[in-house]
Amino acid sequence: MNKIQLIHTLPNVFQNRTDIVSDIWNQDVTFEKGKMYLVEANSGTGKSSLCSYIYGYRHDYQGQILFDGEDISGYTVAKWTNIRKKHFALLWQELRMFPELTAWENVEIKNKLTGYQKKKQILEWFEMLGITDKLNAKMGRMSFGQQQRVALIRSLCQPFDFLFVDEPISHLDDTNAEIMGRIMTAEAQKQGAGIIATSIGKHINLEYERVFNL
Amino acid sequence: MKMKLIWKLLRQHISIPQFVGFFFANLVGVVIILLGVQFYNDYKALDQEDSFMKADYLIVNKKIGALSGLTGSSNTFSKDEIEELEDEDFVERIGAFTPSSFNVKARFDVEGFVNFSTEMFFESVPDDFVDVKSEAWDYREGSDEIPIILPKNYLDLYNFGYAQGKGLPKLSEGILGAMKLNVQIEGNGNSDSFDGRIVGFSSRLNTILVPEKFMRWANKQYADGDAAKEPTRLIMEVNNPTDDRITSYLQDRDYETDEDKLDASKTTFVLRVIVSIVMIVGVVISILSIYILMLSVFLLVQKNSSKLENLLLIGYSPAKVSFPYQALTVGLNVLVLILAVVIMLVVRNIYLAMFENFFPDLEVPGIIPALCVGVVLLIIVSIFNIIAVHGKVMSIWKRKE
Repeated sequence: MNKIQLIHTLPNVFQNRTDIVSDIWNQDVTFEKGKMYLVEANSGTGKSSLCSYIYGYRHDYQGQILFDGEDISGYTVAKWTNIRKKHFALLWQELRMFPELTAWENVEIKNKLTGYQKKKQILEWFEMLGITDKLNAKMGRMSFGQQQRVALIRSLCQPFDFLFVDEPISHLDDTNAEIMGRIMTAEAQKQGAGIIATSIGKHINLEYERVFNL
Repeated sequence: MKMKLIWKLLRQHISIPQFVGFFFANLVGVVIILLGVQFYNDYKALDQEDSFMKADYLIVNKKIGALSGLTGSSNTFSKDEIEELEDEDFVERIGAFTPSSFNVKARFDVEGFVNFSTEMFFESVPDDFVDVKSEAWDYREGSDEIPIILPKNYLDLYNFGYAQGKGLPKLSEGILGAMKLNVQIEGNGNSDSFDGRIVGFSSRLNTILVPEKFMRWANKQYADGDAAKEPTRLIMEVNNPTDDRITSYLQDRDYETDEDKLDASKTTFVLRVIVSIVMIVGVVISILSIYILMLSVFLLVQKNSSKLENLLLIGYSPAKVSFPYQALTVGLNVLVLILAVVIMLVVRNIYLAMFENFFPDLEVPGIIPALCVGVVLLIIVSIFNIIAVHGKVMSIWKRKE
């Protein structure tokens, strides 16, 4: 998939508001594969909504969202499953990890589905992010910052055209944020993919093509 | 490995007591259903030692009173009487007994120990009342082999009376079936010899039965003149042998039927009703237990909904996410069926042992029908479970809408 277009997209809850000033809502916006974007937002401006619309688990918007010119509103379950498996990777703000499983198992449960990354690569990322000692720790026992790093590794365990990272460094120190940025950029470049990052303050440092104010 | 991790996730919150409750409730239900089917089949085998006639046939004749001989009133059924009977709505269909109008002599000899010779007679009923494979119950003109059904009484008479008294060996139906009866037919100036092949013994018919086709041909060939006599006995199929109208109708017209056979039919009919009721109870128990199972699975899905949702979001298809719970329910169903069949077999052995005291050479049917019922139930219930679980997972998929 090469292009994501938002054509006059607006969350239904903003429908009656006239004071919307946004680079994205109610505009024509295109995200292209291979480029990096930053979406800066204040709380309550619909940042997570944007992710969920593009990821196909919420549809409460008006206007259109097109993938390669194709309206996504009619996509089937099978098509969405395929997109989530092979085209879009997402690092959720709320992470969506499984607290009952270990860090390693949380990554495995994704990588077994896609069979995409080698074990060596995954272990290397754990090492780079300084959480190798947490491999067999239960997710529920780890700090949010540690979980955030595991969540990033999990999101990279699949082929993708776009990587969405929703406030990826909210709980990370600058060193780890920088390492995370390097890993993301390297993997995106390897796959020729685009990155769309969001932030409400501290943002991850990448070479952004464009910065949007939501 | 992939499934193992998912299972590790999704087995959280499984309530063992709920599943044990379902398991035993459903087990009771399925055992009752299977036993019902099996018992009914086994009982039918007891009841139908007489495989030539269905239980719902009645044989009707006119009473022979002290006066009928003197007054000369006929004990045959006229055409009008037959038609009247045929119009009654408890009658499904009706057929007449055709008696032979020629002399029959039969000789039965087995070198060494049995030697019978007797005068006898033949009768026939329409072929569709005789429940024998058509090729075994067929007579081709010119052939000198006649299929014959004998009354079971004859065999009992020999075995328990004659053979007992004279110290002769007893004969089973099987041995006799393999032997030939020498039949001599005379009349109308003709005399011919035939081979009688015994296809079976009937406890319902007190007559010596031959195929209708043979009777028609032989009556033409050997009868002296008026071959077309009115019948003295009728055979009829009724839709419900317990129907009181049958008894009153027959009494009103001074007809007789084989009362005890009517009673036997009633017993079978009542048994059928009882077995049906018991099986309905089994079905109800099963349905309720499956309801428990579905509630339990739904509760499980509800408790694990965030896990299921996350799995869907990281790219697992609804089918893959549903699979563990579908496998769980189907697995439980299979386990229930296997255990139910085992229990059924154990119980069946107990009652068959009791049956055998009364019917030593009882040939019981297999358990295939009961197994089929069990497997069909399993398939229906499993399909229902699979669809229900998938529906529940799909509702999680759509919840965000």
